[in-house]
Amino acid sequence: MLVYATKRLGLAVVIVSVAMLLLFCMIYLIPGDPASVALGPRATDAMKEALRIRMGLDQPIWVQFWNFYSGAWTGDLGVEVLSERPVLTVVLEQLPFTLALIAGGITWSVALGIPLGCWAAVKRGSLADRFVGVVSVAVIAIPSFVIAIYALLIFAVTLRWLPAIGAGDPGDLGDQLIHLILPSLAVGLGWVGYIARMVRASMLEVLEASHIRTARAFGLPERQITYRYALSIAILPTVTLLGVGIGQMLSSAVFAEIVFARPGIGRLVFDAILTRNFPLVTGAVLVTTVLFVLLNLIADLIVGALDPRVRSSF
Amino acid sequence: MSHDIKTGPSRRSVLAGASAFGAATLAFPRMSLSQDGTVLTVRSYSDLQILDPAYRLSAPEGDIMRAIYAGLITNEPGDDWTWTPYGVDMIEQLDELTIAFRLRDNIGFTDGYGQMTADDVKFSIERVANPENESPYAGDWAALREVEVTEERAGLIHLNEPFAPLWNSTLPTTTCSILSRAALDALGGRIATEPVAQSGRYLLTEWTPRQRTVLRRNPDWAYEPGGYDEIIILPIEDPSTAELGFEAGDIDYTWTAVSSIARMQETPPEGGVVVEKPSLAYVWLGMNKDVAPFDNPNIRRAVQHAIDTETVVDAAYFGAASTSTGIIAPGLPGHREANLYGYDPDRARELLAQEGVTDLSITLDILNQSERLTAAQVIQSNLADVGIACEIKQNDSGTFWTLGSEDGDYWDQLQMIIGRFSMEPDPSWATVWFTPEQIGVWNWERFDNAEYAELHAQGLTELDPSVRDTIYKRMQDIMEESGQYVFLTHEVTGVLHRDTVEPGLKPNGEPLLGEFRPA
Repeated sequence: MLVYATKRLGLAVVIVSVAMLLLFCMIYLIPGDPASVALGPRATDAMKEALRIRMGLDQPIWVQFWNFYSGAWTGDLGVEVLSERPVLTVVLEQLPFTLALIAGGITWSVALGIPLGCWAAVKRGSLADRFVGVVSVAVIAIPSFVIAIYALLIFAVTLRWLPAIGAGDPGDLGDQLIHLILPSLAVGLGWVGYIARMVRASMLEVLEASHIRTARAFGLPERQITYRYALSIAILPTVTLLGVGIGQMLSSAVFAEIVFARPGIGRLVFDAILTRNFPLVTGAVLVTTVLFVLLNLIADLIVGALDPRVRSSF
Repeated sequence: MSHDIKTGPSRRSVLAGASAFGAATLAFPRMSLSQDGTVLTVRSYSDLQILDPAYRLSAPEGDIMRAIYAGLITNEPGDDWTWTPYGVDMIEQLDELTIAFRLRDNIGFTDGYGQMTADDVKFSIERVANPENESPYAGDWAALREVEVTEERAGLIHLNEPFAPLWNSTLPTTTCSILSRAALDALGGRIATEPVAQSGRYLLTEWTPRQRTVLRRNPDWAYEPGGYDEIIILPIEDPSTAELGFEAGDIDYTWTAVSSIARMQETPPEGGVVVEKPSLAYVWLGMNKDVAPFDNPNIRRAVQHAIDTETVVDAAYFGAASTSTGIIAPGLPGHREANLYGYDPDRARELLAQEGVTDLSITLDILNQSERLTAAQVIQSNLADVGIACEIKQNDSGTFWTLGSEDGDYWDQLQMIIGRFSMEPDPSWATVWFTPEQIGVWNWERFDNAEYAELHAQGLTELDPSVRDTIYKRMQDIMEESGQYVFLTHEVTGVLHRDTVEPGLKPNGEPLLGEFRPA
């Protein structure tokens, strides 16, 4: 296990290094002068040049990369040059909002997708099964930003049950949760369909397994068989799917953060790209990349610990 | 006074939030926060990045600074560009080069920095004007010689030469906010995002980055108090999102998208009032005379005649905005009544035939915004009518705003642009960007006219409004005669507010937060 963990950790380091290189190259291929964009029309050439120096843009590109690379490994992502705040601080301020949004999205997708999948599997071939199938495909097909806008129009504008914008009062947890309902629904609803389909397929397979037949032969109640013995096995592929889904939910989070005017990493990166705030772009994308790689590493280590075949095949 | 700069939710609140989320997904009627006193929630289009008046980056930052730092005077809400005292009980122009002021006797700085003095005025104004400090707003005080302190709370502002924009676009703006010398010395010369020595009607008490800024009424402000106990400012970039937030009851005041004005006026949201204000911004189609085919004056003129500006503006702004006759908006000295060259496609075809042009293709660079794209598409159609093929190139803001700069590598390929600038209420703010010294900086058409430059300099020092009117009209004539400009519109500003709010608005619709009152 130690060898497997070491190899997997090494691979994660390589992935992050390559991501940093690609990120750096992409940033510097974007047209537009950061100093002109940041300082506006009234800035003189001298002011723009001073800002370029503060951003390190006067250095040769390999020096800039080395500064970024070496700083990143020590946790120093530089300083946001206009507000003079550390980039890491700015990014870490926004990260909890995005994590909360993704957690909310996962909650929606699990809370709705698993029961729907189980129901469809138990009622296989019935009208209910077909209904769940249609609903699942429909929510997968609808883009998350469309869901976001309609949810906002219905629940916030028309019914006025829920707030339309913002992340809630910083000191009020209840208010923050209420502000999370619609955006997280927009992020998670598409995944309800994926999970329902996945759970249904897995459940159908498991419900045919010999230990389930044995349980039925012992006369256990059908509800207990379904939720206690079948679902506990059928849920495993869904957990793996959710692990992959976190990356996609990060993309959906960008839309949700813009439509619902929420703070978060997606909006931070979007705004930073528009204003060519390179230190902020690189810092925010790097933090999310590391987070994603770390989550996958943890998931792989757990799977490796549970399944010796995975360890030996790596 | 202490203030609390919050930096996002705590780890504990996020964990607790995640665990309690399931319960929160149950549908229940919307909870409302209990608030003590009156609270106004407004939208700004960007979050603050800096709280130093000399280095502000955006208009919303200026709105906040205007509320938390007293200046000498400030704009009056209403339909005319007038001013009212803010930090002074007397201010007057003694002669063309001298302004006398006397501060109110009870304006204090927070954080223990004592009373505001004339020395603080001297420090604040000279700090902006001093080239060594590299303030982007140094030009506002280009004519300053010095500020003389005559008494503890009185002084004289001495100018080197007459300066016409002084009372319109220098003294009432955030550039003239008064800071505490002692506070700035303690800070090393600059304010970042943490305000110190606040002195205005409101105090900034909380800034949660990218989430909200909270202003509370200054309990030590001894004069006309702010209208609300608390003003919450939400940064929302997208105007459509803000409109939905308004309709959902989350905000009390916002600008609307121009495309929404007509719809909002027909069916205003419940409890909402839609106000249309004339904008000072100006939008134009520009041609770069240093790049073919626009190095040919007759082709430039042909394009001027080919564009049906009425249709362009109607389509782009849904009938809410009118066409313009220049870069200076109605109500300001120098506003023209008519353009010199109108829509005449036959004349355009004649000019093109005269130049032997049969197969002309050009590019039009625009910012990727819906109004600009619609305008560009109508222009494309107008040009196609006279035999010119036009390719529209959309750019994001980061790319667009550097297209014509000589720091980049596109200025010598740029052919046509749709430009838009906003301005303060003095015509010099519009004309300054088209002077020869701005070529390759913000003068992307590379318009180069010595008479224009001379008139611009003359307009800054001329105090007679009628003479200024003649000067700025002539400058716009020169621009149009060059063939490099087709003036499109000044746009319009749509303001949406609750009927329980009496908004304090400048004539162009920009907010004066300190002047908002319950209706």
